[in-house]
Amino acid sequence: MASTLRLYLTCIRNTLEAALCLQNFPCQEVERHNKPEVELKTSPELLLNPILICRNESEKCLIETSINSLRISLKVKQADELENILTKKFLRFLSMRAEAFQVLRRKPIQGYDISFLITNYHCEEMQKQKLIDFIVQFMEDIDKEISELKMSVNTRGRLVATEFLKQFI
Amino acid sequence: MAAVAVHQFAPCITCHAWSPDHSMIALCPNNNEVHIYRSSQDKWERVHVLQKHDQIVSGIDWSPRSNRIVTASHDRNSYVWNREGPEWVPTLVILRLNRAALCVQWSPRENKFAVGSGAKTVCICYYEQDNNWWVSKLIRKRHDSSVTSVAWHPNNILLATTSTDGKCRVFSTFIKGVDTRDSKAGSSSDSKFGEQIIQLDLSFSWAFGVKWSPSGNTLAYVGHNSMIYFVDDVGPSPLAQNVAFRDLPLRDVLFVSEKMVIGVGFDCNPMVFGADERGIWSFVRFLGERKSSFSGSKYGSQFSEAFGKFYGQSKTGVSNDGIDPSRSRGGIHENCINCIVSLGEEGSSRTLRFSTSGLDGRVVIWALENQEDLSEYL
Repeated sequence: MASTLRLYLTCIRNTLEAALCLQNFPCQEVERHNKPEVELKTSPELLLNPILICRNESEKCLIETSINSLRISLKVKQADELENILTKKFLRFLSMRAEAFQVLRRKPIQGYDISFLITNYHCEEMQKQKLIDFIVQFMEDIDKEISELKMSVNTRGRLVATEFLKQFI
Repeated sequence: MAAVAVHQFAPCITCHAWSPDHSMIALCPNNNEVHIYRSSQDKWERVHVLQKHDQIVSGIDWSPRSNRIVTASHDRNSYVWNREGPEWVPTLVILRLNRAALCVQWSPRENKFAVGSGAKTVCICYYEQDNNWWVSKLIRKRHDSSVTSVAWHPNNILLATTSTDGKCRVFSTFIKGVDTRDSKAGSSSDSKFGEQIIQLDLSFSWAFGVKWSPSGNTLAYVGHNSMIYFVDDVGPSPLAQNVAFRDLPLRDVLFVSEKMVIGVGFDCNPMVFGADERGIWSFVRFLGERKSSFSGSKYGSQFSEAFGKFYGQSKTGVSNDGIDPSRSRGGIHENCINCIVSLGEEGSSRTLRFSTSGLDGRVVIWALENQEDLSEYL
């Protein structure tokens, strides 16, 4: 279980190292504008082939690159209904505060749980290796965080039920 | 060590150019200004700031003989700066572009300059004495995407361009009244303006950084698919060689002699390519030393604390013992190198010094005199 996580993260790390070769590129469609080409998608020659890395049916990562921007979309493992709700709420909490993260996208891509948008400006301000470290660390911690949340929900449920049912003893 | 001097000028440098005597450097610190620094006793002081553009300056070139600076910017404008006394005075250039200008270069005889743009055109500008401005002739309808780099052939007529459609093209830029027809130059003089001599479709990804060899016999350019292309005998039957390398793509190249090329790019380390006696090009080695270090500090605590520590984490770098530590590219430059300029004498066929600038804001001067294993290529 841990070994496939290792391989999955190494694969994503290597792909990101190759894909994060971004440069400043002014918009070809609108004068004096500079837009992330991966979001715009109007000039097909500026986009590279998207890569989909799947760990299993329920966990995958889509990396789309262009000349000045990169979009990473993650689908997190959700085993049951409770995890579904917890993931949705937790990731929505993070996405709403996307400004603090800088590289986070406010809305995930259709079919995924969370998306990152990295532009050439981020690569200029921050070091590429640290950005990749952040993304991979994020992926690792998401799983831990969701399991912790699930455990605390179950624990709390058990405590509340015990307290409530005590009055009937 | 090949790197002779390292200077940190700004948080990020877009492009740079040297004055004819190499005492001053003009660079763009990733904004709409051009800063000129002069070196005095191992310290650099800023002597001029050229402020005329509204958006980031994407290309600077300093002509060695006539001492003029040409700048091109994403705001579709270009200016030619002349030194008048203590100040630099801009002259208007009528570019007639409706998209950003991406690159600019003076021709060898400095009577023309070429500007590559996001409007899928190349502008060749020459000076019109009567109106005291620079006018342009456009090469249209040939490129399918933005023109990323331009390079002049030593004969002042042929121009090579690379574009994000992956192709490298060579055009004739003969302008009546500016260029003289050379009777012995052969085919290049017979072509009219804007005529495409050849189109090279070797790369299936974007092409950048084209340069001619000092004699004009060989052309080199890079593709984003981590390949560098060498073309000999540019003409009706060119001879092309592809060299693929293992590392990240290059952004720019420089011919230091007929048989040696330095490439710079996302690896933050200049790569040396050399041609052997048979004319076959191959990758020789990296020029700078490669550090591989990992920061071993423990990444403790909760994810929620990391949430707040995002700024600190991304700039100083923390890594978990559990995951593979990131391989720092290390070396002299810490971020992508995007510009390489020769520091040799103008017109000579080999240069022993060159400078590189990158997104980390450093300008590094490299010298090849002490590299014995590379002397066979020089």
